[in-house]
Amino acid sequence: MKKSTWLISVLLLSSSMALAACGDNNAEGPDNDETDGQEAINEQNNNESNEDGNNNGNDNENNEPAGEAQSGGTITAGMYSAPDHQFNPLFYTTAYDANILDLTFESLVKQDENLEFIPSLAHDWEFNDEFTELTYYLEEDVTWHDGEPFTADDVVFTYTSIADPDYVSAGGVRTNYASTLLGYEDYVAGDADTLEGVEAIDDHTVQFTFTDPNIKALADTSFYIVAEHILGDIPVGEMAEHSSAYTADEIIGTGPFNLTDYQEGEQYILDSYEDYWQGAPYLDSVVWQVVDEAIMTGMLQNDELHLLNRPGGVPAADADDVEAMENVEILEMQDLGYQYMAFKHHHGPNDSLLDKDTWVPNEKVQDVELRRAIAHAINREGFVDGLMYGAGQVMHATFPEASWAYNEDAPIKYDYDVDRANEILDEAGYEWDGDFRTNPEGGEFTLNLDYPTGNEIRERVAPIIQENLQEVGIQVNLNSPREASAHFDRVEENDTEMDMFLAGWSLASGDPDPSGYFLSTAAYNYPRYDDETFDQLMLEAITAPDAFDQDYREEKYNEWSEYFSEQLPVIPLYSQNVIYAHNANLHGITFKTHQILDDAHLWWLEQ
Amino acid sequence: MYKYITRRVLQFIPMLFLVTIVVYGLAQAAPGDPLSGEILDPDIPAEVLEERREALGLNDPIPVQYWNWLSSVAVGDFGQSMHYTGRSVADLVTSRIMNTLYLSLFALGVTILVAIPIGIYSSKKPYSLLDYSATTFAFLGLATPNFFAALIAIYFFSFQLGWFPSQGTVSSVGLTGFEYFIDKIRHLILPGFTLGLASTAIYMRYLRTEMLEVMGSDFIRTARAKGLGPSSVLYKHTLRNALIPIITLLGFEFGTLLSGAVITEAVFNYPGLGTLFLNSIQNRDYPVIMAINLILAVTILVGNLLADIFYAIVDPRIRYD
Repeated sequence: MKKSTWLISVLLLSSSMALAACGDNNAEGPDNDETDGQEAINEQNNNESNEDGNNNGNDNENNEPAGEAQSGGTITAGMYSAPDHQFNPLFYTTAYDANILDLTFESLVKQDENLEFIPSLAHDWEFNDEFTELTYYLEEDVTWHDGEPFTADDVVFTYTSIADPDYVSAGGVRTNYASTLLGYEDYVAGDADTLEGVEAIDDHTVQFTFTDPNIKALADTSFYIVAEHILGDIPVGEMAEHSSAYTADEIIGTGPFNLTDYQEGEQYILDSYEDYWQGAPYLDSVVWQVVDEAIMTGMLQNDELHLLNRPGGVPAADADDVEAMENVEILEMQDLGYQYMAFKHHHGPNDSLLDKDTWVPNEKVQDVELRRAIAHAINREGFVDGLMYGAGQVMHATFPEASWAYNEDAPIKYDYDVDRANEILDEAGYEWDGDFRTNPEGGEFTLNLDYPTGNEIRERVAPIIQENLQEVGIQVNLNSPREASAHFDRVEENDTEMDMFLAGWSLASGDPDPSGYFLSTAAYNYPRYDDETFDQLMLEAITAPDAFDQDYREEKYNEWSEYFSEQLPVIPLYSQNVIYAHNANLHGITFKTHQILDDAHLWWLEQ
Repeated sequence: MYKYITRRVLQFIPMLFLVTIVVYGLAQAAPGDPLSGEILDPDIPAEVLEERREALGLNDPIPVQYWNWLSSVAVGDFGQSMHYTGRSVADLVTSRIMNTLYLSLFALGVTILVAIPIGIYSSKKPYSLLDYSATTFAFLGLATPNFFAALIAIYFFSFQLGWFPSQGTVSSVGLTGFEYFIDKIRHLILPGFTLGLASTAIYMRYLRTEMLEVMGSDFIRTARAKGLGPSSVLYKHTLRNALIPIITLLGFEFGTLLSGAVITEAVFNYPGLGTLFLNSIQNRDYPVIMAINLILAVTILVGNLLADIFYAIVDPRIRYD
């Protein structure tokens, strides 16, 4: 190899290392990918990417496998950070642990490319007329990795454990999967011996009963199912520290692969489960290897890595290099998460964050015209093209394109238009005074913008926003970035000088309902935005009985998106794409919107 | 001597106590807590996080939290990690500490084995070709950022030549005996040399300067005059006297043996204490921060004590009573 070539390669490698240094942190930010729900991080599905021109020519990969599937072989899959080693699904928190759990555990229902629920451990289900009861009919020949049969009792055990009075203090965070069930309040308080809302009718029929008609019933019952015969004797309060949470042989699921051994922080060996109910997997084993981002490309090229999954994927800057490799194919998909710039609509005392009566409006950002002007003034297309090498999308409302709640035409689109921004500001009375504009009353006007570290692109976006806004005469005081935990601590508090802040959400694929973080009374309503119409539209979209009609919900979400874009409580900035890479000899992966691991028994390696 | 050591060890106790108070105070003073970084997905109810805060005792006043921590550490219980659900601090630290120790000792070995011979040679023949090239090489090592050196090493020795593995501490789980040992060593070579060579420059230059200075002193002239052979003069008289500053440096180095090397660990994906420490700070995982801190404080104190004891061994004029 010529000297100059390797020097360039090394320089490239080292520059990607500099990125990696930040990339490592990527996973740490609250709004980033580290801690996802079961399906919190999601990607645009294949078909969708075709439509919006994002495909890289590899879109046929999962539809037309090259020839007949072959059995045998081991693949190495890469992730950038080590799991936390909490392999009891009830207590896991990170996407890295989920990489392993997704291959070893299964749920009653899963989601297809369009995020519609499809059968998994349950082959069928039905609702009662009031939508308060959901009955699942389970597959009958499913066995756990130790050969024991899977039954309805395991389902009851799983949900009862989540509702256990000790569940949260032991470290569990998934109460949203049980809290809608009938009798949850009594059970979690210790006043009841059984959880009324989940009941085994017979070995292969299980019935969920909800307190109120539950339009999210399928999503709420889609959690991983764990084995009662393994965990049943362990008090829930001790489960997270019990050996069954980290000992390879004791992690027993129903999935196609079985964690057989691992070296902490380095590699995790999953062998195929020959008696898997959907047929023995083609592959002998899948090895998850923790790799550093800086040398990931080299490993892909050397066939040392067959698959690179989220969180992270191939950094957009390296995508061209990886795509050029003959033995590697890449696939780009939108992420369900997105980044936004929020206005802090209300301030108030710290100790009553959610008591709206104590909120004091932040006068600086109450003017909707100002918010619209700001939306026009920020060059969001520039972020996607310049900072993400095109691997991303400008967001106009908060639903990701993969969601059925998305409608391209619903929201108003604020294109980058400096003239329009100036025009709006002129009309609204923000007069020029020297380099900057004053507020409509003629006083000095400065907006304070805060942003966190931990996401490299977002860190670079902040100063550009400042520059963009200064171009139209809005003075922005850009505070120096804080570590994620410090930033969100401040965001949560109301009593700050903060006028605008940057943040992001990674969203669960289960249901598009945004009320958990936009409703004025929601704890995650960080902008502290309070608008009756806004709240009402969100609530209508989830209120029975109308909401059981998906067309009705779609309509409501269109209305909500439109109202959102009129009022602009936050300015959605962009959603970054995930770029997967896989060896050209690895076939059979279904790249779904939210998940690429749930058909792993169909993966096969061309030998 | 024993009295001296006992006195020094007893002095550790108030010092460690002060260190823990300061570190605990500083860690708690930083904004955020172990759960504020977990605002993850809006599906996790905010009340759950609040309930977990209560369960972890994060809502208690800081002195109370400190006291709870101190009283359990006093009986040897480092508690549970607040970030890694269900994992004890002891478990987390022990899973990393041996890796870090291997890596640091290997790197220290590389440093000493390279630096001392070259240092001696350079002082024996100052301004020779080897002296100049060693100096050049040493400063190159000092000036190269660790991650850059690591990437060059991986590129050549792992990707191009395929001699050494680039990631982790073992190549496959389940190796035993001699095979396991060899595999471990192979995984140590790239990160170990990357770390070790970087600090050779300091030792090499120190030793060279010190040796040259000692060589010019009267007692060396006397030693030569009374007819001692050149190697006896060099090793018995010069080197021994020149080692004092090296021992001071090594005393400090010993203290950092367990602190890990964040960047090297990251590039080679070598799971050590360094990355754990960094992550625990980012996650505000107080029990882990405190445990690692305590370990570091103890090793630094012990390292300095050892250095003091070695002074007396190397230089008989130094005595402790």
